[in-house]
Amino acid sequence: MTPQPSAPGPPRPLKRKDAPSSSNTAGSTNHNKRRKTQVALDASGPSKRKDAQSFSATTKNARHDKRRQTTKDARAISSQASSKAFKNGELDVDKFVKAREYEIKALEQGMARAKKALAERAFQQVPKELRRRTASHNVKRVPKRLQRRAAREMVEDKTKSDRRKPSRHMRLRIETAKRLRALSAKQRARKDAVVKDQGTTNVQSDQRPVSVKSRKPRVKKNALKDPPPAPAKFRKRQIGKSWLPTHLYHAKRAHMTSPKEPLWRYAVPLTPTMKSYRPTHRASGDRGAVAWDMSYMATVSLAGTEQSLQGLLRALGIGVSPETKQLWETRGQRWSLGTRVWEGWLYCRDSFPLQAIAPATVIWCAENEPTSVLGAVAEEKANVQRKTVRKLLIRVHPSAFHQLWDEVLRLAKVQKPQVMVEDLRFEIGSIEITGPASTEALLGALWPNTSTSCRDWPQGSVEATWSSLAEITNPATLPENVLFGFDIVDPRLHHPPRTIAIPQSTRESALLSTLSKWPCDQTQTSPKLFDRNARLKAARALPSQKAINRRKSFAVPGTYPEPKPSDAQIPILLYATRNLQSRNGGQSRAQGTWNFLLPWKAVLPVWYSIMYYPLSTGGQPRFGGLREKRQIVFEAGVPWFPGDFPGTAAGYAWEVREREKRKEDWAKRPRGKRTEWSSVDLGNGKKGEIGDGWACDWERLLTGMAPPTTGKSAEAAGDPSSKSDSVSPPPKLCHITSAAASSLLSGSSPLHNIDLSTALATVTLDLLVRGVPQTCARIYRLPSSSAIDPTAISLRNSWLALVPTPESRRRGREQKQPFPSRLRRDAPPHVVHRQLAQSLLKPPQAGEDEYPVCPGEEDLIGFVTTGNFNLGEGRGTGIGCILLGRVLDRVREGRDEGMKGRLCVVRNAGQSVGRLARWDIAG
Amino acid sequence: MVRIKHRYLLINILYPDPKSTSGRPATKPGDEVPYTVQFRRPSPDRMDGGVLTRLIRDGVAELFGDYGSGKVAGSLQVKYFSQATSTAIVRVSRDHYRLVWAALTFATRLPNPVGQPCVIQVVRVSGTIRKSEEEAIRRARLSIRQAEAAAKSSNAATAGLAAATPQLLSTEDDDVDMINGIEDPDDPRDIEEDLDDEG
Repeated sequence: MTPQPSAPGPPRPLKRKDAPSSSNTAGSTNHNKRRKTQVALDASGPSKRKDAQSFSATTKNARHDKRRQTTKDARAISSQASSKAFKNGELDVDKFVKAREYEIKALEQGMARAKKALAERAFQQVPKELRRRTASHNVKRVPKRLQRRAAREMVEDKTKSDRRKPSRHMRLRIETAKRLRALSAKQRARKDAVVKDQGTTNVQSDQRPVSVKSRKPRVKKNALKDPPPAPAKFRKRQIGKSWLPTHLYHAKRAHMTSPKEPLWRYAVPLTPTMKSYRPTHRASGDRGAVAWDMSYMATVSLAGTEQSLQGLLRALGIGVSPETKQLWETRGQRWSLGTRVWEGWLYCRDSFPLQAIAPATVIWCAENEPTSVLGAVAEEKANVQRKTVRKLLIRVHPSAFHQLWDEVLRLAKVQKPQVMVEDLRFEIGSIEITGPASTEALLGALWPNTSTSCRDWPQGSVEATWSSLAEITNPATLPENVLFGFDIVDPRLHHPPRTIAIPQSTRESALLSTLSKWPCDQTQTSPKLFDRNARLKAARALPSQKAINRRKSFAVPGTYPEPKPSDAQIPILLYATRNLQSRNGGQSRAQGTWNFLLPWKAVLPVWYSIMYYPLSTGGQPRFGGLREKRQIVFEAGVPWFPGDFPGTAAGYAWEVREREKRKEDWAKRPRGKRTEWSSVDLGNGKKGEIGDGWACDWERLLTGMAPPTTGKSAEAAGDPSSKSDSVSPPPKLCHITSAAASSLLSGSSPLHNIDLSTALATVTLDLLVRGVPQTCARIYRLPSSSAIDPTAISLRNSWLALVPTPESRRRGREQKQPFPSRLRRDAPPHVVHRQLAQSLLKPPQAGEDEYPVCPGEEDLIGFVTTGNFNLGEGRGTGIGCILLGRVLDRVREGRDEGMKGRLCVVRNAGQSVGRLARWDIAG
Repeated sequence: MVRIKHRYLLINILYPDPKSTSGRPATKPGDEVPYTVQFRRPSPDRMDGGVLTRLIRDGVAELFGDYGSGKVAGSLQVKYFSQATSTAIVRVSRDHYRLVWAALTFATRLPNPVGQPCVIQVVRVSGTIRKSEEEAIRRARLSIRQAEAAAKSSNAATAGLAAATPQLLSTEDDDVDMINGIEDPDDPRDIEEDLDDEG
């Protein structure tokens, strides 16, 4: 390039056109002449006639020139003049080196600049999860701040915009919308005219009180609740199902259940439309937060004397077993006083270890009088208890709701005095949020109500305690299952939320003492959420968005509107839970979860406040769907209800539903491209998948080997017309909870009333070698060591030979690659020899001849209900269910051999390779 | 759409005649300027990209006539010219870069306003400007190292110490290699020999 006689120290691009005089300094060479003629040619167009009518053309041309100029600037490389570099024209090593250094710097900067200026277009600057495939053709697909730039770029490089003619269906909708708009405008005009006619008499109509007295609906006790009537606009879309309060939010951003097949009679978000699960994984464990609208969870309210409530809960199996008896004594005192929640399994009436219904949360309502009953005289306490009516909530998964409802209703009528049961399904909604920033996000969204217009709550009160938790990055650090009940203000009054000030470590000791003392135990008053009137009042007092906007516009710019005494007070119940049975036993790493219950109508404003909260670590909380929920608990090694509990009625229904879906997917594929179940090689000359390949075939597992109709049965099952299997009654499976299963396996408490042949336990599966278990994978036990058959013994030994020793495991970790890389053809002989020696010492790999085959069907013990790659572990893991009766003897005989009793082989459905794994009882 | 393909020639200009060049060795007694530094002199102030273009154009016209100059004219451009280091990057269309190369090789004198004897080396031909820039950076680094090493050894020689550096230098500079058949003649061992001759 032309040298710059006055080039300063740092290199800068030449700007030829901005400074026309520079062409003079560059010298009148051919080179420059050519460029001048080029400019003249360009200018011969519209730029010569700079009159008014061609103004737009000139601006366009100018814009084009400007663009070209910027590219040219970006591509220019600065250079140094000799006179600058070598003073007096003297050669010198130092100057020589300096000149080269300058050149290196200039060239490097030039390369970087050229790359930046050339390569990046606006839609490429968008973060990965916000990229849209059509963003290069449709400006609306990029974030607002980039839209102008994107539009300019599209004009400049003549990208065709994505403005197509609307389709026929779309045109119809546009026309309808237009007609509706006209209609409503006409109506509004008519209404306005009427108001004007009436004159000033109706002025006070603006100042009518926010809450309108309406007829109190009769409380339906002991009866199921109907879904709330949907607005007329959406009624047709809610036939046979209900929408969650946040349906509109989710429907825009997530894949929902298909309209014809709702889940548990709700339209449930399945997974966000944003691609990639990994950001959610990060948000749930490392940075950020993930929230779910869990309003589909069913809530049942019970009211009665403490005696009868206790009787009812006992009949449902709470605190019945000798281990949990403590719950009704000192250990469960906080729970029954209403400052802790209880989570655990509920059972059918008086059938404790059998017939589990579902895991549930039970929350007692705290009482208003100072709860220093802890030390009160027992007799007095008992007297009080006999009379006062207490309330409690049971929260259960919707798939098991009806079963529980029937059971509870029956039990409530038996109690003396009777217990009132109320279905609160569409009255109480809930939100769940997890992740390190969850506490922060909640603090930003849930502002405790200030009745006295000052923000100072008395020391130790629930609100003060809640507000002091800002530093907590894991809800699991709080006391176990801790519960808050308080009122919050309408979050729309402080929307959009602002990042809260997180106190620095100076106050850490205060937080620690709060956590250890937990003053809420003494100060918790009766949460208003239990009070039906308070719930209704809160729902009714919620002002319209219009009213909120008006108040906001009156507020001083930059501030939130002043609170008013007539503002809605939304009662909420907030509790933190943790996954005790998480993988690795590492409670320190496992994230706890915040759950909160609130009136159904208040869910949406709170949801928006959470979703738009700017986290102090950057970004906003993410939302998850059902799939994210399942995957996050799966990665923590916790089974998910109902999917991982086929021993319960709800779990079996889920399995049947999933089975149908997988079968459909299988049947949809062309014959050549789907797994041919009948030709799956199971080793030892056996062919054909065990049972249905698309199912966790519990029927087959219980009944054992089907009559030998090998080829035909698979074909018949593949035939979509044979729907007999879905109609057949569920097998008599029986879920055994983790505590019972562990005690059974350890032999500490023989539970003689358990039918071992049908007892199912949920287990986690850790693969000892490679491989990723998939849903429906088959789980086998190893052949018995006391078997008579010599082939079985040898099979057992060859599987045991695959168990990695601690040394090999360590070696593998050091090498960081489980398999030696393929050798180069010209590898030196000593490397070849080394590899050969290593491969001789290595256990056989899958696919080699020595790799052991799967055990036979007589050793089948269960199925994998959830299997996937586990991002937390960095390898495949699984959660499955096994028949306890089939592993009991193996566990007992292998007890003195360490873990050998719990080894199993996992084989994915439709594959012949088995993988060695180890099972463990999971929550 | 067909992409227009170019070739980028990375060029070094050498000034063999010490009398007429602008860079004179510093004439302080006892301060020998190493040969490496003397070999790569800066260009005179009047030399710039325009002059270089003219040189090439005239050369091509002289060697290949109207045919050659017509073929080359459309695409010829000096992308980068640094006076201080006498390095340039020239762009030509891929089909005719040999014409330009030939013109550069045959050039013995810079055109008139400068009018100095010169030798032009084409050290790298690449398809993208990026690669030629990278090569220029590499060569600049190399010559920095050579100059420093030479300065050190010359200092050592003047101090009367035994000049036992050839191995050291050769191990350091083993990354001088053949690129596209163009050898960098500036081998450090030559420098040593030269220094020895002078000494």
